[in-house]
Amino acid sequence: METEVKEAQGKIISAENPDIVAPADWQPVIMGILCNWCSYAGSDLTGTSRIQYPPNIRIIRVPCSSRVDPWFIIKSLQTTADGVLISGCHPGDCHYISGNYFARRRFLVTKKLLNFVGYHENRVQFSWVSAAEGPKFAKVVAKVTEDIKKLGPLHRYKKENF
Amino acid sequence: MDHSKQIQDIASKLFAENKIDYFVGYRQNAIDDSQVPYLISDPAEIPRLVFTDRSVFNLANYLKPEHTRRKRVGLVVKGCDSRALNLMLTESQVKRENVYIIGICCEGVLNEKGEKAQNCIECVMPDAVVYDEMIGTPTGKREYIVNADIKELATIALEKRADYFEDIFSNCIRCNACRHSCPLCYCAKCCIDQETSTLYHGANTSSGAMHALMTWSLHLAGRCVDCRNCEKACPSHLPLHLLHKQNESVIYENFQQHLAGMEKDDRGAFYKYSLSDPDDFIL
Ligand code: SF4
Ligand code: SF4
Ligand code: SF4
Repeated sequence: METEVKEAQGKIISAENPDIVAPADWQPVIMGILCNWCSYAGSDLTGTSRIQYPPNIRIIRVPCSSRVDPWFIIKSLQTTADGVLISGCHPGDCHYISGNYFARRRFLVTKKLLNFVGYHENRVQFSWVSAAEGPKFAKVVAKVTEDIKKLGPLHRYKKENF
Repeated sequence: MDHSKQIQDIASKLFAENKIDYFVGYRQNAIDDSQVPYLISDPAEIPRLVFTDRSVFNLANYLKPEHTRRKRVGLVVKGCDSRALNLMLTESQVKRENVYIIGICCEGVLNEKGEKAQNCIECVMPDAVVYDEMIGTPTGKREYIVNADIKELATIALEKRADYFEDIFSNCIRCNACRHSCPLCYCAKCCIDQETSTLYHGANTSSGAMHALMTWSLHLAGRCVDCRNCEKACPSHLPLHLLHKQNESVIYENFQQHLAGMEKDDRGAFYKYSLSDPDDFIL
């Protein structure tokens, strides 16, 4: 289901809608939904360790990655976000013992369904980042930002007023 | 497949022995050869009960309304309907002792065009999985087939698929008939319903419809039994099975070949997990 990402003459073309082009210096907005116990603490560590990461991410804190109902993702994509990153504890490290195992199942199905109705599969990404992995968090955000920059602005299914 | 006589006999017996308060079956529609669900409390109405290959609806949905919830109900279920009923029992929506289930070994029902319906061609379990009394000869479980429409859509380019779905979602009038006709959508305060919603504001736009229908299908992922009651209820004829079958095929492939409602006390795919679930899509 992979589609080719097109770039033409210093412009970025939207992966889902080739009619939409953005200037080469266009910056995506990425919604980051992080679990309180691992990834949010991890992102905090990235900051306190003075590690640079792209400022495109806007972070929301949730108690657990399994708190993420698929509609959070859809609503983000329909309003401002061009991409979504969801991050939780590594398998086995969940503060609530098994929340991330349940979340993992849901994420796979959500990701496939979004791709099925016409979102590029890189629009929504997931990661496991522990509270000690500051450098990993910076790397993940850099990778996701890079991926979404390539995909261009998202114009599908946008809500006009929200 | 015409089981009208047997069903009438069983219904009269149940009323005579005072085992039920209501009986839910089908009756002939007055205007054409289709049928409609028929809920009776009076034995005098029994002769109007029928069951043929036009009995398309999922009657488990009639255990949801307030007036049948705590009553003793007799009902007719086909294979797919019985899987939905099985899940309702597992999820404590229905008490087993309150229902008298007439299970049918289904030979497939017809769509509006008079052909065998797609979900019947692809059916994995035509025999009722939970019943008090069985009608017909069981043929057993069949092999899972990935839905033909899903396979076809997966081959077309992403932009084309997005155009196609945008078109589909723009036809939705947000009536919520799909959610009300699904036996497994019983939440009193549904998050997509315009009137009761706390989270979602059901504006009648294609993005609003997309938000609602995607959320709805993900709430049913791992629980949907492919009875297509939702699709039959939709006044705009949206192909809602595309969303459900897509989820079902991902779940079947990745989560130990899970199919909803097949076993007693087997919960939906999202209510359990395995340590070996796929992890390769996570950074
Ligand atoms: S869509 Fe979700 S919230 Fe609404 S009734 Fe169905 S399961 Fe409940
Ligand atoms: S979503 Fe539709 S096909 Fe699935 S169980 Fe509900 S009514 Fe049946
Ligand atoms: S029944 Fe059809 S038109 Fe009504 S809300 Fe559902 S999909 Fe939309």
